Amino acid sequence: MSFTRRHLVATLASGAFASQVARGADDTVAIPGKRPMILHNDRPEDLETPVRYFDSWLTPIEVFFVRQHLPRPPAIDLETYRLAVNGMVSKPLQLTLEDLKKLPQFTVPATIECTGNGRGFYSPKVPGIQWMRGAIGNAEWRGPRVSDVLKMAGVNSSASFIDTDGADVGLASTPDFVRSLPMNKAMHPATILALSMNGQTPDIHGFPVRLIVPGWDGTSSVKWVVRISATAQANTGFFMNPGYRYPKYPLPPGTPAKPAELEVIEGMPVKSCITSPEDQEKIALEPTTIRGFAWAGENAIERVEISVDGGSRWRDTQLSPKKLPFAWRLWSFEWTPADRGYYTLMSRATDTAGRVQPIVSPWNPSGYLWNAIDRVGVTVEKSA
Amino acid sequence: MRIAIIIGALLTLAALAADQATLDRGRKEAGLACTPCHSLRLVESQRLPRAAWNKELDKMTGWGTKITDRDALLEYLVANYGDDKPPAPPAMSKNGYTPRKQQ
Repeated sequence: MSFTRRHLVATLASGAFASQVARGADDTVAIPGKRPMILHNDRPEDLETPVRYFDSWLTPIEVFFVRQHLPRPPAIDLETYRLAVNGMVSKPLQLTLEDLKKLPQFTVPATIECTGNGRGFYSPKVPGIQWMRGAIGNAEWRGPRVSDVLKMAGVNSSASFIDTDGADVGLASTPDFVRSLPMNKAMHPATILALSMNGQTPDIHGFPVRLIVPGWDGTSSVKWVVRISATAQANTGFFMNPGYRYPKYPLPPGTPAKPAELEVIEGMPVKSCITSPEDQEKIALEPTTIRGFAWAGENAIERVEISVDGGSRWRDTQLSPKKLPFAWRLWSFEWTPADRGYYTLMSRATDTAGRVQPIVSPWNPSGYLWNAIDRVGVTVEKSA
Repeated sequence: MRIAIIIGALLTLAALAADQATLDRGRKEAGLACTPCHSLRLVESQRLPRAAWNKELDKMTGWGTKITDRDALLEYLVANYGDDKPPAPPAMSKNGYTPRKQQ
């Protein structure tokens, strides 16, 4: 019953949204369910989280970033929803939402980051959404393991990948969004079909069923999942090749890659960002807290250091207690500026595998995986 | 001498006018060709060199976009969203969130 009401509200909301969008791109739009977000594209929604919201370990859904490749599919009917599990399996399945809920449920805290987060920092500029710091968020995802679903279907031991397809379809001849995942990652106990996110099921984030591939780039975590196929070979659709590939050999900035020398991205680099104060903010000459987040894909964060003098001296920050693979740690540093003037603040993370954030993030033609030491400038002014 | 200057000025004006007409056609083409699939914000938030814009038009044509005035569209993109232009000011969405009532 509550579904019917929700469905009606969603339909009304999307209708209002469509009429706003129809007035033209120069009009500012409200995205239902979202607080004011940095708007890169309103149709489909590409929304960046302003850094001031990154002050809690779990990112609230109303400020969680959104990256849509294709328009959102029509609202999925929870009663008629089916997940097809097929391909190299002995028992092809058509699972209902209830079937998925009956499997053992697992909670996985994981940070999800758009592959192109930080693209706006690259020079020379590359095509794509010019994300800065905020195409990232941390949530508690909950649902059954992909491995349990595959075992139930009797997956063939010679299958090397799964293809995951969402209910979204491309307009005109835009390719369908299908992603391939190597079988060993699909079978990992933390890889789940999330049925909720922070206890909610927001349509805009891919529910009722979203694949969650912890520690990998966000594009792996397919939304509105309707089909999983076990396969012998990786999918060769646009969103696997040439999309979401990274040069095997580093390139001089501004030069094209040879298609044969581009590889599928697996995992994510170590990274930290400063979220407060913000770049070019003016702050008072008094004790202030420098804050931020750090994460390292499949590893945990070991250490985050801060410099308030442009990278000359580094000091350890205070880290939030949960030291987990896949999930970020928040960090803070109490700073009392010595005097008035302009300061360059920098943050540098180290992960449990010993990876350290670089000074220079390697330029690449699609602007992926930005992870350079973060840097903001602040002006300290005399207290009132 | 004076006549040459006047003729020169007139020619320059004519060239600028032609450019403006092309840019106007390009703006119109952007509205027709790009917006069936996505908002113009996706275009207007980027700053790319001519070669990159040209490649984007190839990609979008491959994805089924009907572009009738391609040359004008490319000129419009380069003139307004070239990599020599200052970065786009960040746009913010309006609030669309209503906190849930406590049950």
